[in-house]
Amino acid sequence: MNDQPGPINALRDFYQQGLAEIRAQFEQQHTARTAGRTAIEQRSHLADELVQRLWARFSDHPKLKSGVAIVAIGGYGRQQLFPQSDLDVLFLLDNSLKELEMKDPIRRINQEIWDCGIRASPQTRQLSECDGLIIGNPEFTLSLMDHRFLCGNRKLYDKLAKDALPKLLQRDHRTLIARLVEITLDRHAKYANTLFHLEPNIKDCPGGLRDMHVCGWLTTLYGIAAQAQKQARPQHNNLAEFHQATDFLATVRCFLHYAHDRDDNTLYWQSQDAAASAALALGNIGNRTIDASVWMRSFFRNARTIHRRTMQLLEEAPRVRGSSLYDQLRRRHKRVQYDGFHIQHGRIIFDEPASPRAPDPANDPDTVLYLFEAIATHGCKLSSEAEDRLEPALPILAANLEEGPALWTHFRTILNGPYAGEALRAMHALGILELIVPEFLGIDALVIRDAYHRYTVDEHTFVLIDVLHNLQRPPEPMNSNNRPNTLAEWQRRFGGLLADLPHPELLYLAALMHDTGKGRDTPDHSKESARMAKNLFARMELDPYEAGIVRHLIVNHLVMSSTLRRDIFDMETLRLFVEKVESPEQLRMLALLTYADISAVHPDALTPWKAENLWNLYIGASNYLDRTVDDDRVRSRANSELIQRVTTLAPARAKEIRAYLQGFPQRYLRTRTPEQVFAHFELASGLVKPSPAAKDTEANIAAAVELVLHQATPVSEITLVALDRPRLFATIAGALAAWGMDIVNADAFANGSGIVVDSFSFIDRFRTLELNPSEHKRFLKSLKDALTGAMPVEKLLASRTRGGKRKPPKVSVETQINFNHEVSSHSTILQVVAQDVPGLLRAISLTVADHDCNIEVALIDTEGEMAIDVFYITRAGQKLDSARAGLLRDDLIVAIARNTK
Amino acid sequence: MQKIEAIIQPSKLDAVKEALIEVGIQGITILEARGHGRQKGHTETYRGREYSVDLLPKLKLEIIVTDDMVDAVVNTIATTARSGKIGDGKIFVSRIDTAIRIRNDERGDNAI
Repeated sequence: MNDQPGPINALRDFYQQGLAEIRAQFEQQHTARTAGRTAIEQRSHLADELVQRLWARFSDHPKLKSGVAIVAIGGYGRQQLFPQSDLDVLFLLDNSLKELEMKDPIRRINQEIWDCGIRASPQTRQLSECDGLIIGNPEFTLSLMDHRFLCGNRKLYDKLAKDALPKLLQRDHRTLIARLVEITLDRHAKYANTLFHLEPNIKDCPGGLRDMHVCGWLTTLYGIAAQAQKQARPQHNNLAEFHQATDFLATVRCFLHYAHDRDDNTLYWQSQDAAASAALALGNIGNRTIDASVWMRSFFRNARTIHRRTMQLLEEAPRVRGSSLYDQLRRRHKRVQYDGFHIQHGRIIFDEPASPRAPDPANDPDTVLYLFEAIATHGCKLSSEAEDRLEPALPILAANLEEGPALWTHFRTILNGPYAGEALRAMHALGILELIVPEFLGIDALVIRDAYHRYTVDEHTFVLIDVLHNLQRPPEPMNSNNRPNTLAEWQRRFGGLLADLPHPELLYLAALMHDTGKGRDTPDHSKESARMAKNLFARMELDPYEAGIVRHLIVNHLVMSSTLRRDIFDMETLRLFVEKVESPEQLRMLALLTYADISAVHPDALTPWKAENLWNLYIGASNYLDRTVDDDRVRSRANSELIQRVTTLAPARAKEIRAYLQGFPQRYLRTRTPEQVFAHFELASGLVKPSPAAKDTEANIAAAVELVLHQATPVSEITLVALDRPRLFATIAGALAAWGMDIVNADAFANGSGIVVDSFSFIDRFRTLELNPSEHKRFLKSLKDALTGAMPVEKLLASRTRGGKRKPPKVSVETQINFNHEVSSHSTILQVVAQDVPGLLRAISLTVADHDCNIEVALIDTEGEMAIDVFYITRAGQKLDSARAGLLRDDLIVAIARNTK
Repeated sequence: MQKIEAIIQPSKLDAVKEALIEVGIQGITILEARGHGRQKGHTETYRGREYSVDLLPKLKLEIIVTDDMVDAVVNTIATTARSGKIGDGKIFVSRIDTAIRIRNDERGDNAI
C-alpha cells in the first residue's frame, strides 16, 4: 500500500488548485443564472478524480480490490457538490466481506480524503443492507436513489443499481412516498409553511433546494408507482421554468458558501446586499444597480416556482395525516359540481369547454371568483391543471373583470371564508389578487429589514388573516412546536370578540390593506395604506360607513400597540386612546387587528404577557367608552372636527346642523358617518314640532316619528328619529320583537332639544325582510303604528307569542343587575346582563319606564346568548336614590324572569 | 463586576433604555414580568364578568456592569423610571464573579 507523504500532498495541491479555479470562474461568471450549476458539476468532477486517484493508491489491497465499490450518493451522486457540501460516499461491501475487517483500509481512505481538505460523510454497508427500507432512516434510501459509480468493483455496484435498489423501490415505493411527504411537511412546518422569510434558508425553507430534491425523488417514485399500476403519468408543463429556478437557487447557494466559508445557507441581509450588488444570477443587466429588495423578489419568484411544483407533487401523494375539512374533501371521491369547475378529492378542476367554440371557464371572471370562494370556504386546493389554465387567462380576466358591488360581494365571501388565507395566497401566487387589488403589488415578496419581523410584508398579511380566522376555532391544547399552548385563554377571549362582529369582512379587508403603504417610500405607512385603500373602496363601491370603518382601522392599526407602551391603567392614557377609537365596534376590531398583527410578526411575538396587557387595555377602553357617554356631550359652538365633517355637507345650513347636534353625546357623532348624521338632521328637520298652544300636543308628538330601514344580511339596522316621549325605546323594542327580530345591538341618544335618535341592529331570524321585499313597507308601517299608538304594541306582541315554544338556550346566563351612581355626573348607570331572549329589551325598558325613569342613553349589546345592556337613567332629571334603585332591581328581576318563561 | 436588576413600569422602558444608552450601556436583557408589592391590583368588570388584575405587568431589566459604572446606571434607572407613584418598581444590585463571552471565550470585564 502506498502511503508516502509526497503523493498525498500533490493530490491535495491538485484538488485545492482545482477548487480555486472553480471559485475564480464562478466569481467571474456569477451574474449568469447557470454559474452555480457549472460550479457544482465542476466540483463533482474534481472530487471524482480525487477519489479515483486515491483509490488507485489503495488498489493493491486484495479485499478492497475485489469486494468494495465506492458509490457517490446524495448531492454528490447527483453531481451537485456545492462549495462547502460534504462528500456523501458509500463504501459498498460485498456480502462476503465483514465491515469489521474492512474498517481499517476504509478508514485510511477516508483519512486521506480529509487530508486533501474534503469533508467526507462516508457510510459503509453490505449490499444486503441496501435492499430494504429502514423506516427510521428513510434518508439513506433517498440518498441511495441518487447513486453514481465512482470506483472499485463495478459488478458489485451493478448489483445495487440494477437489482437491489429497483426491487426495493418496486416493493416499498408507497411507504417511501409516505415518509418523504411526512419529512417534507415537518420541514416546511419548521419554517411556518412559508418561503417568505426575511432571511430565508435557501436549502431547507419551503421552495428551497431540498424541495427541488423532493421533486426529483417523488417524480421517480410516482413513475415506479404508475408503472406498477400500468398507468401513464400526467405530464406537467412549465418544467423549463422549474429548471431555471433550480439553476438560480444553485447559483445563490454557491455564492453563500463562498461568502460564508461554511455550509451556511441563510440569506442574511448582508448576503442579500452582496447578491444585489453583484447582480447575482440576474443575467446581463448592463450598468444598472439593483436594490436588495428587487433582487429578493427575483429570489422569491424562483423559490415560489419550486414550492409550487413541490406542493403539486405532494398533493398527488396518498393522504398521510390530518383531519381538516380539506382532508375530508380529499377522501370524498364524489365529484362536487359548480358552474364551470368541479371539486374532486379536494382539488379544483376546470370543466372543459362544451365545444371548441364555447368559452373557456378559466377565462370567465365570475367562475374564477367563485372558484376562489370555494377555496376560502372549503379549504380545497387548485389542481396543477387549473393553475396551468389560469396563468395564460390573466390578460383576459384583467380585461373582463367587472368592478363595483358585485366584485365586493365575491371578495367579501372570500375574506369571510375560514380558509381565506389559503385562497388569497393562491390568488396572489397567480397574480389574480393583484387584478382586484393592484395596491398589493407593491408589497409582493417585499423584504423590510426589521429585527422583529420574520416574514415578507405580503406573507405577514396572509398570516395575520390566518390568525384571525383561527380565532373562530377552539384553541389547540398544544402549539405548533408541540408545547402547551399558553395563549389558549387569550385565543378564547379574543375569539369571543370576533364572533360578535356584525361585519367581520371589514376587519379582514383592513387586515389585507393595512401594510400596503410599506410598498411606497413614505414616512407613515399607515396613512399611505389608508390612502391606497380609498381607491379600492371606490372601485368596489363600498358604502361610506363601511369604508370609514376600514379606513379608520388601517390608519390606527398601530395605535393600540403604541398605547401598550404607556401606563394602560391610567385614566388619561385610556382617554387619549379612546379618543382615537371612536366606537365600541371599532375598538373590538382594533383589538383583534392588533392581536393578529403582533401574532403574525413571528410565531413567538405574542407572549401571554402581551396578550394579557392587550386584553386589559381593551376592557379598560371598552368600559371607559360605556361609562363616559353621558358626560362627553357635543357643544355646538365648539370647533370640533367631528362637527365640521357634518357641516361641510351643507355649509349653508351649518347653523341649523350645529343646533341639532347640541347636547348629543359625542359617541353619537363618533359612531356614525357624517352622511348618516346629516340624514338624521334632515329627518329631524321634517318632524312636526308641536307648539305648546296646540290642543292635541300629545298626538302631535306621537306623530313626529321618522324611520329608516337598512336591510342587510345577516344584520339589518333601523334608525328612528323622533321627539322624545315616554316608553319610546320600550315600544320600538317591543314592535321589533313582535316581528321576530333578534336585537343584537342598539343605542339611543337624545339632543338638548328632545330629539331622539335610536338605532337597532337586528337579525331577521325568519328572513322575512330578505325574502319578501314587499314586506318592508308593512314592517315600517307596523313600527310607526306602534310608535304613534295606532296599533298597541301589546297587541302586536300577543300575535307573536302565540307562535309556539322557544328553544332551550345552549348556554345558561344568570341575570345580573348592577347600578353605578358614581361614574356619570348626570345619570345612574344600570347594567343588565341576562339571557338573550326575544322581548328582553322590551321587558327591561318597560320596567324602567314604569318607575318613571328616563333613558338618557342606551347601549345594547349581545355576546353569544348573553345580552349586555347598559342604560343611563334619570328620574325627574336626577340620579336614582338607592331606595328607588332597589325597587327597580326587584322589578327587573321579576320582569326578566317572566319574559324568559 | 455587578449585576443590576431593575423592576420597572412597562411604560418607562423606552425612556430608561434611551437614558442607559446615553450613559454608555449597550447590553440590556429585558424580561416580561408580573408582580405586585404595595401597588395592589384591581378588579375590572367587563360584560358581567370580573377580571381581577392582581398581578400587574412589569418589566425586569438585567444589566451587568463594571464596578465603576454601577452608580451611574442605578441613578439613571432610578431617575428615569420614577413617576412618584406606588408601583414605580425597585432596583437590586448584586456581585458577579465573572462573565464569559461564548463566541470567543473572552472573560471578565472584556466579556461584558
